[in-house]
Amino acid sequence: MSEFLSMGGYGKYLWPSFVLGIGIVALNFWMALGSLSKAKQEARRRLEMLS
Amino acid sequence: MRTGSLGVAQLVIARDLRLAFRKPSQLLQPLMFFMIVATLFPLTLTPEMSRLRDAAPGVLWIGALLSSLLALESLFREDAQDGTLEQFALSGQSLTWMLFAKTCTHWLLTGLPLALSTPIVAVPLGVPTEALWSVVASVALGSFALSLIGAISAGLTLGARRGGVLLSLLTLPLAVPILVFGADATHQAIIGGAIGPPLRMLGAIAVLGVTLAPLAAAAAVRIGLE
Amino acid sequence: MSWAWFHRFASPPWVYGFATRWTPWFGGAALLVMLWALYGGLILAPPDYQQKDAFRIVYIHAPSATLSMAVYATMALAAAVGLIWRMKVAHAVAAACAPIGAWFTVATLGTGMLWGKPMWGAYWVWDPRLTSELVLLFLYFGYMGLRAGIEDPQKADKASAMLAIVGVVNLPIIHYSVTWWNSLHQKPTRLLGEADMVWAMVWPLLLMFLAFFLFFAAVVLIRLRAELLRRERSASWIREVLK
Repeated sequence: MSEFLSMGGYGKYLWPSFVLGIGIVALNFWMALGSLSKAKQEARRRLEMLS
Repeated sequence: MRTGSLGVAQLVIARDLRLAFRKPSQLLQPLMFFMIVATLFPLTLTPEMSRLRDAAPGVLWIGALLSSLLALESLFREDAQDGTLEQFALSGQSLTWMLFAKTCTHWLLTGLPLALSTPIVAVPLGVPTEALWSVVASVALGSFALSLIGAISAGLTLGARRGGVLLSLLTLPLAVPILVFGADATHQAIIGGAIGPPLRMLGAIAVLGVTLAPLAAAAAVRIGLE
Repeated sequence: MSWAWFHRFASPPWVYGFATRWTPWFGGAALLVMLWALYGGLILAPPDYQQKDAFRIVYIHAPSATLSMAVYATMALAAAVGLIWRMKVAHAVAAACAPIGAWFTVATLGTGMLWGKPMWGAYWVWDPRLTSELVLLFLYFGYMGLRAGIEDPQKADKASAMLAIVGVVNLPIIHYSVTWWNSLHQKPTRLLGEADMVWAMVWPLLLMFLAFFLFFAAVVLIRLRAELLRRERSASWIREVLK
């Protein structure tokens, strides 16, 4: 297991890379969903003001 | 009376030159900025001549770029504000051609004097005298290409808030090739190497700019004027 | 070809429904493919002869790089469609692409730096490919900045569309920089046919490319929905959709 983590000594470059890449993927999902829910809220508010 | 293309260009150029020479102090400002910026580098980096000579291409080009970006503000802004640009667009003449004429005049008033003043900055940076003409030529060509490309971003930011900063932000990525080849040409001139290839690339970029940039700038201005 | 099919894509409510239906499929598929690819790349694939285990960074770096450019191309294409055919939806797609592409560019530059340090000894070199990729990031920022800086939404659409199209010139520069100039960055690697890598290393990479594309599809559809809601203001179809 520790061999897997150290990745032939390159672990300290490899794992941050994967964390960065996958982190950005996750962050984008999260931010997109946040943007969508905010847009829905604003749309609801606008519709309420009209009715 | 239908004015021919050459006549239109002459009118645009003459008008811009007349307006510019009403406030000659404004023409000096980009030059002053260039010299101040160029002076900051030896002050902050090192006074050692051999190291300055190595840094000279970068210093010259970054100074030229920054002062050109400042000068680009004045390309369309006043004419957009007082309605002249709108008149140009509605006139039935080719907006592309008129904007090209404006850009050329702008370069004559800002880029060319900048290029001619580079020896004043280059000599204290350790650039050898034999290299000075090549340096002037490369900055002249590069600043011309930069004016053309800057016209596009100037057109795009006409309707934007805080357009000045945005103008610089938009122009910089497109200006990178000019910087790269221009600095390379200056570097080659200093070490006495082959200045031909980078100058040719600069020329190619300028030609591409001449053919495409005014079109894009005219389209951008039309969008901004709507 | 039936043009009715194409016209549906011009209708915001139809596109919104399409996006809502397809997002979970793209998202779920992205997750599964990514897990499978990571298993293949981190565990199954053998270490590289020269780079040992460090080569595995390719599984994040290469797909990020490809996507950073593909998303820009998509953005520019959508912008062009919006300009030429005056399709609001196309402009919305372009706007939705921008932040995603910018993040991919950040991922490319970041993982590239983490790969460069052990391989070249430096986190950063000013070589043509790295520099032009950085320029791509600036182009994304410029695009988003221009959009934010113009008040009128239609002007913002058109002006940013022009910028996106002009910036396309950067893409061939990034791609061909390693062949046109003496670059420190690796030359393109052949993956199929006369491959430069063994299959055990290649298939996880191909899967990661697929996973990243699927992920892009899912996220852009989510952002597109948000864009459409914002743009369409109080159109009647929104009332239906929000129930």
